[in-house]
Formats: sequence, C-alpha cells, structure tokens
Amino acid sequence: MRALYKATLLSAVLAAAPLALPGAAQAEDSVVLPNLSYRTGPFAATGIPLMNGQRDYIAMINARDGGLNGVKLDYQECETGYDTAKGVECYEKLKSSSAVTQPWSTGITLQVLPKTNVDKIPLLAPGYGFSAMQDGKTFQWAYNPPASYWDGADMILKNISGGNLDSLKGKKIVLLHLDAPYGKEPIPLLENLGQKHGFTVVPIPVGVKEMQNQSAQWLQIRREKPDFVLMWGWGAMNAGAITEAVKTKYPMDQFVGIWWSGFDGDLKLVGDQGKGYRSISWSYPNSEAPVMKDIKKYVVDAGQSLINQAEGEFDSVFYQRGAMISMILVEGLRVAQDHFNTKVVSADQLRWGLENMKLDDARLKALGAEGMLPPFATTCADHTGHSGAWMLQWNGTKFEKSSDLLQADRGEIDGLVEKAAKDYAAANQPWPASECKM
Amino acid sequence: MELAYSILVQPFADMVGAPDFLIQVVWEGLVSGVLYALIALGFVLIYKSSRIFNFAQGIMVVFAALTLVGLHERGVPALLALPLTLLVMLALAVAIERVVLRPLVNQPDIILFMATIGITLFLVGFGELIFGGENKRMITSELGIPTGSFEFEPFGGFVSIEQGDVTTVVGAIVLVVALLAFLNRSKMGRAIRALGDDHQAALSVGISLSTIWVLVWFIAGVIALATGIVWGARAGVSFALEVIAYKALPVLMLGGLESVTGAIVGGLMIGILEKLFEIYWGQPLLGGNTEAWFAYMLALLVLLFRPQGLFGEKIIERV
Repeated sequence: MRALYKATLLSAVLAAAPLALPGAAQAEDSVVLPNLSYRTGPFAATGIPLMNGQRDYIAMINARDGGLNGVKLDYQECETGYDTAKGVECYEKLKSSSAVTQPWSTGITLQVLPKTNVDKIPLLAPGYGFSAMQDGKTFQWAYNPPASYWDGADMILKNISGGNLDSLKGKKIVLLHLDAPYGKEPIPLLENLGQKHGFTVVPIPVGVKEMQNQSAQWLQIRREKPDFVLMWGWGAMNAGAITEAVKTKYPMDQFVGIWWSGFDGDLKLVGDQGKGYRSISWSYPNSEAPVMKDIKKYVVDAGQSLINQAEGEFDSVFYQRGAMISMILVEGLRVAQDHFNTKVVSADQLRWGLENMKLDDARLKALGAEGMLPPFATTCADHTGHSGAWMLQWNGTKFEKSSDLLQADRGEIDGLVEKAAKDYAAANQPWPASECKM
Repeated sequence: MELAYSILVQPFADMVGAPDFLIQVVWEGLVSGVLYALIALGFVLIYKSSRIFNFAQGIMVVFAALTLVGLHERGVPALLALPLTLLVMLALAVAIERVVLRPLVNQPDIILFMATIGITLFLVGFGELIFGGENKRMITSELGIPTGSFEFEPFGGFVSIEQGDVTTVVGAIVLVVALLAFLNRSKMGRAIRALGDDHQAALSVGISLSTIWVLVWFIAGVIALATGIVWGARAGVSFALEVIAYKALPVLMLGGLESVTGAIVGGLMIGILEKLFEIYWGQPLLGGNTEAWFAYMLALLVLLFRPQGLFGEKIIERV
C-alpha cells in the first residue's frame, strides 16, 4: 500500500509540475492569474489546447517583455476536471491571492457568480458563461467578452438563413446540446426567435455518459428530419456527434456548431467525411501573425510549451483561441496599469480595466493579432463587447473562413438580457446594482 | 386520456407505422448492449475471483486503448502494437497483484475497493503523463476492422448497419464464448470459479491465489482493450472513455455481480430497452436523455423482486 501511495504521489506531482510557469514565483512584483483548468477527465481533449494557448501567451509576455511593464504574470492552474464542485473548491483555495477568476465552465461560472460581489474578484469568461453577464449594471464583477452564447446563436441563425430569419419560417432546427448549463444556454433565445420568425426548435440533450454513443440522439434526428442541426457540444461530445453525423449521412453543410464545437482535433477524426461542417468563431488562427511568431520563438522553440507539436496543435483553432483569451486578460491588466498609474494591479483595478478595453483594429495590429480577433470594446454597462464572429468551415484538413464578419441583432438579445439579469438579481436578493457612473 | 394514449398507444403505433425505424432502433440497442456487457464482464470476472469491486475497470479501458494508439503513434505497426498492448496489460496485472493486492490479502473488502480507487488515480496521472490527454483516433482500419455500412430497404424503408458494429457484435460473441469455455473447461478457469466459491477451500487444495489474481486482472485487461477498441472507434480515444464504466453499474445490479451470464443478458436487456424507451417514450414525453437514468430504474425494479439480481446467487445466512 505504501508503494502504491508513493507511486500515486509521484505520478500526481509529475503531472502537475509543468503547469505553473517557470520563474514566475509569487512575489510583490507579480500578479497572480489563476485558471480553473481541466487537463484530465472527459473534457480534457478540448481543454488542453485552450489551456496551453492561455499558458503560452502569458509565458511569451514574461519571456519577451520581462512581464507586463516589469510585472511578472504568475499563471497558475487548478485542475477541476470540468467538475463544478471541484471548480468551486479551486476558487475558494485561490481567491485570497487572485486578481481574476477564469472559471472555464458555465456551471462553475453560475456557482461563483454570486460570490463575486462579496469577494470582489472579477470573473472573466471569454465566450462562455451566462449570456446575461453582458449587463454590467447587474453583474458588476463578471465579463464575457468578446461575444456571448446568445450572440453566437443569433449569428448562426443569420448565417444559415442568408441574413433573413423570416426565411426560416416553417423549418425545423434541432439543438443538439450537452445536458449541462452550457448546453442549455441558447435555448431561451432560440425559442424566442423561433416564435417570432415561425421556425421550430427541438432541443436534444446529450448526457455526459452518452457523449461517445449518441445513437439515440441521432435516431431522433433521423426521425425529426430537421433542416439544420445546431450543436452546443464540448469535450468528447463533439467528436461523438460528428462521427454519428457521418454515420447517419446527415448533410454536413446543414450541421453548425458554436465556437466550442469547432475543434480541429475532433474533425480530424473524420477527415474528408466532415467536409462542409461549420462552426461560428470569434477567433481565427494565423500562425504567421506576429503574436504567434513570438509565442513560437520565446515559448515553443525555447522548450517551455506543453503543446503536442506532432499533432499540429500550434496551428489549431483552440490553441490560438487560448492565446487570444490571455491576450484579452493582459489587455485588461494593461489598461488598469495605465489608468491607475500602477504596476501591480489589484483585483478591483483589473475590474476597471476589463470594462474599459478598446481592442480596435489599430490596437489589435499593435498586439500582433490583426485578423485573429474581431475588434470590440467593453464599457461599464456592456461587459461583452459584441465583437461579432466569422463562420468557419471544415475543408477536410482544416477550418477556413466561410463568411465575412457576422454581427448579432441586438434587439431580441438585449431584451432577453435585461429580463434575465432582472430575474437573476430578484432571485439572489440582496443583489447590488450599479448606475455605471464611474 | 391524451396522456394515457401517448403512453400506451402512440409508441406502439409508431413502431408499427415505421418498422424499418424500429429495426434500426433495436439494432443500435443491441450494439450498445453488447458494449455494456463487455464492460460489465470485466467487473464480474474480478469480483468472482477476489470479491473486489474493481473501480479501476473504466480507466483500464482508457489505458489499454491509449497504449494501443500510443504505440502505433510511435511507429509500431498496428498488428504488432496489439500483442504489445496485451503484454503491457499483463505487466499491469502483475504489478497490481504484487504492489496492491498481495499486501492487502485478508483485509476487509472495503480496503480492497479503496485500493482500486488508488489504482484509478494512479493510471489517470500516469496515462496522461505518457500519452497526453488529447483525443486520439482509434486505428480501426489499420487493425483490419471494416468501415462502411450495409444498407437495406425493408418494408419500403431504410436500415443502415455499420460494418464496424457487425464486427463489434461478432468479436464480442467470440470473446464471450472463449471466456465461457475457458472458465468452464480449463483447469485455470475452474480454479477461478473455485476461488469465487470459497477462498479458504480453494487455497487448501493448492490453488495459487497470486497466479489466479494475475490471470483475472489480465483477462479484465484483455476485455478492457476490446472495449477500448470498439468504443474508441466511435468517438476517438480519450479519458472520456472512463465514464462509460458507469454504464456497467446498472447492468451489474440487474444481472448480478457474480454472474457472467447475468452480465451478458443484463447488458443486452439494458442496451435494447433503454434505446426503445428513449426513442418511443423518453424523447416525445420527457424531453430526452432518459438513458442517463432508465437503466438504474430498471435495475431497481428488478432488485425489488430479486435482490440478488436476475442471475446472482441467493445468499442464505443462518443466524
């Protein structure tokens, strides 16, 4: 038993050791940036490239610039396995030293959200979390730039309808979704838009234990004969759904995923048979962009990265999206440094930075990420920024842009955000509200 | 009245109205059932011989599949990677017996159960360290498993049967028949059954506990590899495969923890019934995803009338 204990301990230490960045020990001249990551468990396959991208961008800033204006960025991971209870444990463990919370799951986001007003640590959930977090007057400490799930759902509908949602009248749209808060997030908006424009929405949930065997879900899709299938999948669910779609010969050009269902690794499993599958995305990979070249030079070639180069992870949508996520966070820190004329930014100051970001074309170019992220700006009242997104399409070997930059119609979304934020605040009384007069 | 109609009449009307679809549903249920039965067999074998509920069976599926794919990625031809993976599973069985089980002989069952949780945690970290956590493609075609499908048009409809699924069913039948023959006809097989019946009596007639434990853990490893290949072919090989072990729990409740026949019949019953229930009752009436709980409900229902499961042994203890 002792031998087993030793081996288990050794294995755990070895597995955890490379995750903190080398040379970024916590000190007075550093900012702690925790990440509630998942490199193990059923969602690891999609989590790993994203976490690697986040980690490597921060490592690049430390290696290339000696930190952010001389302040070391202390990136730390706490393993959650995408489990909400473990995520909350990680949050509680790290909150005393954190400048930010990156929860990495809608379930964890919803658990941590009520604590943000008390602990006063900004919660950053780029492209995920609760869509109503857009409302900065209600969710003063939560941010989901550059686009919310409701933005994503609206943009997908706009794309498949050719820009006119009325053309979907009489059509049937299946929402194949993970049976978790994340997967259920677009349902209210889709149902509202369905009623307004005359199309039917059929949600089909996929449980975690059924992710790899979705034959029942695809039998239902065969029976329903939908005009389109939208997917809110994650982890092994994406690969399972795409494999079943190929098996059942569902037309790939009528199958569209949200940005978390557009991972190169999943599509590589089916290769040419997945040709035509689309995924909306607020990021676009470009390995020749200056920022990616710097990551390659200072981190990957220096042997400091954890990526799997043999599998082409560096060029993947998810790895480079991870880098963009850290870029957004670092930009928030930079804005706060400038505004408060300080180097070591506190959680409170970072909050100000995150709601005063202006990542326009000029700023993105200066950061070396032109064309990788659509421009957006956040405000005290708008914590999302609504960058818009591109539709990407799988060509058999990689994702390519298949649309110009799409924008969501604000009308339906803003109304739903206002109602959801009001309902949330009412259900969690006392809930402080801001007038946004900072 | 409308509710009663949608529960008692509509589903059967749908079945009769689209018999080709019903055939497809039953076939998919059968394939799922075979896969559940395979996982359950791994649990049953180890429990029969050592009274250990092997919590590590799920991670053994992942570890075996990752070893196979990982060896192939490192340039080992698929047909050589297969026996090498079996060797790795044998080495794992020997290591588990030496390091974990042997020091725990005569300890309470719960201690042994906890030890298998330790094995799970170790294999998660160790597997990730060696193979990484990325989703990998199962080397189906390299192993000679056919792709493509047989398509039929019965009753003017359409049924598609994947060649890979046919291979799975045939392979599972061969594996189960070989296993039953081994357990019932061979000396070693009889020794395993003897240990399952009575540890002390088996030891007193010279049966080696160590050898038998290595053997059953190795057989469980072989079953894990077979399970990993067929499940991995569906959606890739990743740590997500571990959760499929939970699908075996209701099969064990239904079939009995000690019965090979129970694992097979229980797996097939649950596979087919949960698919029929999901398609004809669950999705239209309950919003779907009933597969998450239906098997447990069925198992609980059986336990109400047969607490030892359908094929479990009835234990009578005199007070």
